[in-house]
Amino acid sequence: MLDSIILSSITFVYFGAFVLYLLMMVMARDYFGRLASIVTGVTFIGHTLAIVLRWIRSHQMGIGHAPMSNLYESLIFFAWAVILLYLIVENRTKNRTLGPFITPLAFLAIAYASFSPDISEGIQPLIPALKSNWLIAHVITCFFGYAAFGLSFGLSIMYLLKRLDSPERGNKFLAIIPGKGIVDELNYQMVIIGFLMLTLGIITGSVWAHSAWGTYWSWDPKETWSLITWLIYASVIHSRQVRGWKGKRIALLCLAGFLCVLFTYFGVNYLAGLHSYAKS
Amino acid sequence: MIPLIMTNAKIEKKHNIIWRLFSSVRLTIVLLILLAVASIIGTLIPQASQRESAEFAMGLSPVWFRIFSFLDLFDMYHSLWFRFLIGCLSANLIICSLNRFPGTWSLFRAPVRPDREKPFKDLLPGQHFFAKGDISHVSDKVGQFLKSHYRKTLAKADKDRYFFYAEKGGYSRFGVYVVHTSVLLILIGALAGSFFGFEAFVNIIEGDQIDTVSLRKRDEELKLGFAVRCDSFTVDFYDNGMPKEYRSELTFIADEKEAEKKTLMVNHPVQFRGITFYQASYGTIPGKKVHLKIIKNDAKNHAITLETETGAEVKLPGNEGTFSVTGVKANFMDTGPAVQIAVRPIEGDEVNFWVFKGYEAIQKKLPGPMLMSPKFNPSAFKPYTFILEGMETGYYTGLQVNRDPGVPIVWTGFFLIIAGFIITFFTSHKRIWVRLLPDKKGISVSIAGAASRNQVGLERELIHLTKGLNAHVEG
Repeated sequence: MLDSIILSSITFVYFGAFVLYLLMMVMARDYFGRLASIVTGVTFIGHTLAIVLRWIRSHQMGIGHAPMSNLYESLIFFAWAVILLYLIVENRTKNRTLGPFITPLAFLAIAYASFSPDISEGIQPLIPALKSNWLIAHVITCFFGYAAFGLSFGLSIMYLLKRLDSPERGNKFLAIIPGKGIVDELNYQMVIIGFLMLTLGIITGSVWAHSAWGTYWSWDPKETWSLITWLIYASVIHSRQVRGWKGKRIALLCLAGFLCVLFTYFGVNYLAGLHSYAKS
Repeated sequence: MIPLIMTNAKIEKKHNIIWRLFSSVRLTIVLLILLAVASIIGTLIPQASQRESAEFAMGLSPVWFRIFSFLDLFDMYHSLWFRFLIGCLSANLIICSLNRFPGTWSLFRAPVRPDREKPFKDLLPGQHFFAKGDISHVSDKVGQFLKSHYRKTLAKADKDRYFFYAEKGGYSRFGVYVVHTSVLLILIGALAGSFFGFEAFVNIIEGDQIDTVSLRKRDEELKLGFAVRCDSFTVDFYDNGMPKEYRSELTFIADEKEAEKKTLMVNHPVQFRGITFYQASYGTIPGKKVHLKIIKNDAKNHAITLETETGAEVKLPGNEGTFSVTGVKANFMDTGPAVQIAVRPIEGDEVNFWVFKGYEAIQKKLPGPMLMSPKFNPSAFKPYTFILEGMETGYYTGLQVNRDPGVPIVWTGFFLIIAGFIITFFTSHKRIWVRLLPDKKGISVSIAGAASRNQVGLERELIHLTKGLNAHVEG
C-alpha cells in the first residue's frame, strides 16, 4: 500500500530534518536551517498525499471514511497537524530554532504508529457509534489542540534552556534561541490556540456523545482527562492574564499541561471507558 | 490599567472577608488545580458506573474500603465534596466578575481626553510624518479619515494645536464576561437536567410493546404516558464481521392509536413527545422452538431429529418414557445456546441435564470435573445422546430513554463560550491618539495608540494607519 510505505518512510525523513535543524543550532550555520525547512516542507507534502491516498483507498474498499478513526490514523494526523502548525509558525516568525524541538514529536508519533506491533495499520470500517459527521470535526479540533500544546511544550523547553544562556557561557546552541520574552509570548499564543481548539474538541465530542449515547457528559476517563487538561491550561491563562505570571512558572505549567495531553491521548487507554476504539 | 486597580481596591475595602476570598484569582487557580487533581483520582478509582468497580472495591482492605466509602470515592463526581468544589468555583467566578465589571465598564465608557501627552512618548519613526498646507485643512482631513476607520472619534483644538482620539473594539473587554457566563450556563444546564430530566433504559423484545422504563439513578419505574412497540430489530455486519448498523423500527402508540413510526439507529436518536430514544444495546433471547437430534446408541445408531417447544412432553423414540425441554439459554456462559432436558422414564427417577449447541466450546470453558457431572452430560440418560441442533432466537433492542430540558441551555453555553473566546483572544480594544503641531518643517502629525492586548498587532496597525493618513492628507 503506497500510503503506508510513504508514511513509514517519512519517519526517517522527519528524523533527517531534526538532525539538520540540530546541526543548524550546534554549528550555527544557517544553510543547515534552510535545508531543514525545505526537507520538512517537502516531507509534509508527502505526508499530506499519503493521508489523501489512504482516504481514497478506504473509498475503494467500499467503507470510505476520513482517516481519523483509530490510533494509527490519529497518530499520523497528530504528526501532520504538528508539522503544519510548526511550518506556519516558522514562516510567520522567520525563525527556525523551534525546529529541533518540534520535529521529534512528529517523527516519534509516526514511528510509533508505523512500527509498534500493537498498532494495526489496516483500514477498518466504522462501527455504528463512529458513523457520524461529528467524527471529523471532533478529531480535527482535538488534534489541532494537541498540536498547539505540542508546540507550547517545545517552546517551554526552549524557554527553560534559554534561561541557562549567558554571554560568558558562549554556547552557540543557547545563543541562537531567541530572547526569553519572545519565546514566552509565542508559548502563550500557542496555549491560547490550543485552549480554543481543545474547548471546541470537548464541545464537539459532547454534542456527538449526546446524539450517540444520550448524555453529553458521562465522566468517562477520556472525557475527564480532557477536562483535566482544560483545567490546567485554564489556570495557565488565568495566572498570566490576571496575576501576570510569566516565564519559568508558565513554562513549567505548560510542561504539566502537555503531560496531561499525553495522558489524555495514550494513558487513558489503560483505564476502562467509552473511547476503546482509539486503542488499536 | 490604573483605574481598574483603584476600583478594585475600593471594592475590596468595602466587603467582608468571604467576598474578598471569592474575589481572588489565586483562589480560582487553586480551585482549578484542586478540581483537576480530584478528577485524576476519579479516573484512577473505577467509578460505580464502571464494570470494574465491584471487583476493585472487594480488593480493598476493610479499613481502606471504609475510608473510600466515607469520601464517596466510588461515585466521586456525584459526591457532595466534589459538587462543593464546583460550587466554590461558580461562586468565585460570579464574585470575581461582579468585582471587576465596574472597572471594565469605566474603561469602556470613560471619557477620554484627546489631548493626552503620555501616549506620545517613545514613538516609532513610522508613527510620524510632516504634512504641508493649512493646518485647519489638514485637521479636517485627519478627522474625516479617522471617522471612516473608527467607530468612535473625538476631536479637540487648542489654539493652533489639534488633537484627535479614536477607538474601536471596546466590546473586546467584555469577552471574558461572555466566557464566564457561558461556563455558568453550562453548569446551570447540567443542574436543570439533573433536576427536571431523567435517564432511563428499557429492553423491548421484537414485536412487544412497553409503556414504562426503568430509571438509572433510582430503582424505580417510570410511566411514559404512551407506548413504544419494537416492530423489528436488525443488525448488519461488514464482511470482516464488525457490526455496521443497529436498527430498531419503532412504533409509538398514544391514546390507543399508532401515532408515529420511526427508525432508530446509533447516532440518530428519535424523539416523541419530548422524550428522546437512543439505540444503546441489543441482545438475543431464546424463542420457544428447539431443534433436537436424538441418537440411540445401539448397534444401529439410529438418529431422529425433531422440533419441540419448551414445556411440551415428547415420547422417547423407544417408548422408555417421555422428555421435555425445561429451560433454554440463548447464551450459556458465553458458549452459545443450550437447553435443559428433563427425561422422565417409566420406571426410576427424573434425569436432568444440559445440552449444548457448541459442545467443543463448553469443553474448553468448563473444568474437567464439572464436565464429568451428569448435569452436563448429553448422554446422561442411556442409551440416548441428545444434540441441540438449533434454537429459534429473537432479538431485543436496548434503548436509552432520556428527557433533558437542560440541553438547550448547555448548547447555548457551548456556543457562547466559543464566541467569548474569540472576542477575548482575537479582538482587542484599540485606542488611537493623533496630534497635529505646527513646526518649521510643516505640520508635525504624530500617531500613538494603546491596546488591551496584542501590542505587536497594534504597532503594525499604527504604522499602517500612519501611511494611510499620510496618503489621505496628501491626496
